[in-house]
Amino acid sequence: MNNLMHKNILLNCISMICVLSMLLLPLSAIAHGVDITAVPINAVEIYALFDSGQPMAGGQVTIYAPDEPLDPWLTGICDEEGRFIFVPDYSRPGMWEIKVRLAGHGDLIRLEVTAAEESVVSEAGRLSFLQKIIMALVVVWGAVGTALYFSRRDG
Amino acid sequence: MKTVVLRGLLFLLLMVGLFLFPGCAGDQVVNDQGSTETGSLLFTANGEEFIREGFICKDGWELSFDHAYVTLTSISAFQTDPPFDTEMGWEFENLVQVQVDLAGVHTVDLAAPDADPALVGEVAGVPAGRYNTLYWELILAPIGPAEGFVVLLVGTAEKDGEIINFSVGLDREVAILGGEYVGDERKGILQAGGSAEVEMTFHFDHLFGDYDEDPADEINLEALGFGPLAALAVNGTLEVSLSDLETMLSKDDFALLVAVMTHLAHVGEGHTLAVFLD
Repeated sequence: MNNLMHKNILLNCISMICVLSMLLLPLSAIAHGVDITAVPINAVEIYALFDSGQPMAGGQVTIYAPDEPLDPWLTGICDEEGRFIFVPDYSRPGMWEIKVRLAGHGDLIRLEVTAAEESVVSEAGRLSFLQKIIMALVVVWGAVGTALYFSRRDG
Repeated sequence: MKTVVLRGLLFLLLMVGLFLFPGCAGDQVVNDQGSTETGSLLFTANGEEFIREGFICKDGWELSFDHAYVTLTSISAFQTDPPFDTEMGWEFENLVQVQVDLAGVHTVDLAAPDADPALVGEVAGVPAGRYNTLYWELILAPIGPAEGFVVLLVGTAEKDGEIINFSVGLDREVAILGGEYVGDERKGILQAGGSAEVEMTFHFDHLFGDYDEDPADEINLEALGFGPLAALAVNGTLEVSLSDLETMLSKDDFALLVAVMTHLAHVGEGHTLAVFLD
């Protein structure tokens, strides 16, 4: 009976180590020194057009964070379709401002960014380190609980 | 054993709670309204390089300006919440949090060398915050060099060796409403103890077009150019008003000129709403 209990505990420990390895190792491959990680994120896509409908190709984009309206947070250039994509800093919720200018014409729009969108990013994206640790602890507790359950039955 | 299982369940619940609600603390709210701190607000007007340095208009006439008078009144800057946008239309009074008025009638020469931009007036001791809406009226100058005109352009046009001295006056009054300044820098953001500018900007390339832009560009398609005016010059001189031009220009050209008066004014590069007062 003691042998059976030890086998159960051993199996549980092996399972736990496997699960921990899967959780804690980064999801990337090492090949010829390249490390590619793909992470889904909540980005903002801007389309800038003149009133005529013509894209503002090459338009100068300036983005201001809500707590720093005088200094640009990010600058960039629209593509041929008048498009520009950026990811706001979700730790700075509030009204973000986006300015696009070209050839003496320009406009400024506002976009409300909330902290809730940040949590959406976490859910849709990869797990944070804290979340991995918590999951590992939950798995460990499950393994210990299983071992204790079988040890009681064996006893 | 029951105690161990119970503790385990509590631990699991705590972990699940932490996992599901990671963002309960630390939310930041930025509010730039309601400040009791004050500063100075500078009201300025700008004809940009087109007026100060001259330019070649869409039909090849090289224009230089001795004077470009605009006469302004009923000037007010507002802090609005939410920030005003011209797409909202004229009904913005219910958005106003703070209003600052610049009293008086002001005739400003946008072609003056130091008009970069020209200071129209200053109001001290006004609430700090973001002045994101600007209203003003172009009215007939009651006195002075531009008397009788809302805009008076005086200068020289040259093309292929022909020189025309011109004086073109616009004599219809216009009310203008714009949103936040759009340009290289930010304007209208007044910090406590400091000063900030709000700018009434005039784009005269909308009137004459721009040789450097594509002829099919909107800026040129909607501009009158100088050619139709040059055709009216006598002995190298052109002195006309908008009222005169109603009978001197073709119907289409006159309609173009009238339409330009409603999109001449900007706030930086930001478009405005405009309506004739008559």
